[in-house]
Amino acid sequence: MTNMNNQRTTYTITDLLKNVGWQLLCKTSKAFRVNPRFTAGFIIILVVVILAIVAPLITWHPPLKTLVGRPFTPPAALHPFGVDDLGRDIYTNVLYGIRTSLTVGVSSVTISLAIGILIGVIAGYYGGILEDALMRITDMALIIPQFLLALVIVAIFGQNFQNIIIAIGIVSWPGIARMMRAEFLSIKERPFIEAARAVGLTDVRIIFEEILPNAIPAIIPYAVLQINTAILVEAGLGFLGIADPNVPSLGLMLNTAQQYLVRAWWMAFFPGLVLSIIVIGLNLLGDGLIEYLNPRLRKR
Amino acid sequence: MILVVIIVTFLLVRLAPGDPTYILVGEVGDESFVRAARERLGLDKPLYEQFIIYISNVFRGDLGYSYLRSESVAKLIVERIPATLLLVLTAMFISALIGILVGTIAAAKRGVVDLTLSTLSIIGISIPYFWLGQIILIVFAVWLGVFPLGGMVSVGYEYQGLQYFIDVVYHLTLPAMTLAIFNIAFTTKITRGSVLEALTQDYILTARAKGIPESRVVFRHALRNALIPVVTYTGFNTGVLLVGAILTETVFAWPGMGSLLYDSIRLRDYPVVLGIFIYGSIIVILANLVVDILYGILDPRIRLR
Repeated sequence: MTNMNNQRTTYTITDLLKNVGWQLLCKTSKAFRVNPRFTAGFIIILVVVILAIVAPLITWHPPLKTLVGRPFTPPAALHPFGVDDLGRDIYTNVLYGIRTSLTVGVSSVTISLAIGILIGVIAGYYGGILEDALMRITDMALIIPQFLLALVIVAIFGQNFQNIIIAIGIVSWPGIARMMRAEFLSIKERPFIEAARAVGLTDVRIIFEEILPNAIPAIIPYAVLQINTAILVEAGLGFLGIADPNVPSLGLMLNTAQQYLVRAWWMAFFPGLVLSIIVIGLNLLGDGLIEYLNPRLRKR
Repeated sequence: MILVVIIVTFLLVRLAPGDPTYILVGEVGDESFVRAARERLGLDKPLYEQFIIYISNVFRGDLGYSYLRSESVAKLIVERIPATLLLVLTAMFISALIGILVGTIAAAKRGVVDLTLSTLSIIGISIPYFWLGQIILIVFAVWLGVFPLGGMVSVGYEYQGLQYFIDVVYHLTLPAMTLAIFNIAFTTKITRGSVLEALTQDYILTARAKGIPESRVVFRHALRNALIPVVTYTGFNTGVLLVGAILTETVFAWPGMGSLLYDSIRLRDYPVVLGIFIYGSIIVILANLVVDILYGILDPRIRLR
């Protein structure tokens, strides 16, 4: 027994990631075969990510540069999505805007995952008064309109890219904390945890080595949907004019377009279309995953 | 709960870089004026005293003063609430009506109808409503010219009574439609799931065995029991809908809280922005309370407990 214990003391965060990655891979490959929605979402998101990566190769104007074309030029060969009020190429900015959206989505969800998992784990594992207090706070945080809170934070702390990511991250943890707690509550009672305790593993090791790897797959579809929310919040903030002017943003483009709706439909049409496609893709992906992981829904 | 919102606001303002006076009273040039405001708000006192002053101010409805509009923040916002509520409630009503019907049909029919409707509802949920609003505005107001470009009443006419009502409805159509489309998709999705769940219950089998027509089974027996989660989600969705209304109002220049927020952000009128956050949160909290009460009415089991 002690021997086994010693062999496993070098368990690192890499192992955790490997473990989770493997489970994810198995589930993903199965989900492909079973669920057409998941496949559709995956293909959409794959294309979007590739577009974001190769953006510099397939655009021929620098992003945000003004007067690369005549202001208010409708879509044409050199400017496929038209030109905006300051002579910026909309096609270029849309492609770079995808980068912004994805960056905001992934980074802010990473932040909210970190907070949510921490709180959920503590509440779910330790229970007692600590759990009651943490869950009370979570429920309260869940009711406050997240969009408005993020808006106030960015408005007060300054409108730069970093603040927007942090603000969206710190308003969206409550849902994750709740799910994490539920997972921990159920996994905690299973026999293998009892075994781990009997062997004399410390709480920290039980949490990180035994329970967490089993709990994470359940929150992955939720995290995907959360990326979606983050992207929409960023776009919404941009639409209300809360954005970093030095970063191309689909939401901010729609804000500018609002003033010229009568004159230049293309300024609103293309950024919004691309934004919708990203969101549809992520929704399909997330819904597909949920459906796949919940066998009761799958049968229907 | 409302207290929590106020505490959060207070902490945010205090944590922000720079002098909180500027955030609480707005950016005004005059040095003596700033000093007076600082004294009035007690910003020269220790932190806990400031906190008490702030809370009592907010509870008395004193959210500060918008110097750009020379009005008190509370008055500015309260004036705008009816317009926002009109928009939200209209959209809620339309979407509950259509969403519940469509969701039930999707669950009962299954097959191709279900697949089409579910796919449509995913698309409906995904499209950002402010963009949808812009497109609707371009198509119906700019290109076709059948609806007004924005606002709540026609400028330059002094309509009375019925004419006024018709004019408001005419202006309400596009924004309400925008907001409803998003919410129809949402309600459809929830209703479908809930009715599907209800249809697997034993009492449905009993009803069918008694020879009750299928449409009656679905609408009277299944739907009635399926409505509870729909009401809950609709209530929890109030926050989303309020934010949706704020964004939609901006597109259509509907004179509610959203337009006020948009203007205040542009003019850096922070007291108003903070005020809208507090009022918005209070509306959402009240909506959650209403849901809890409705819950008891719809489900006798909870009332008895």
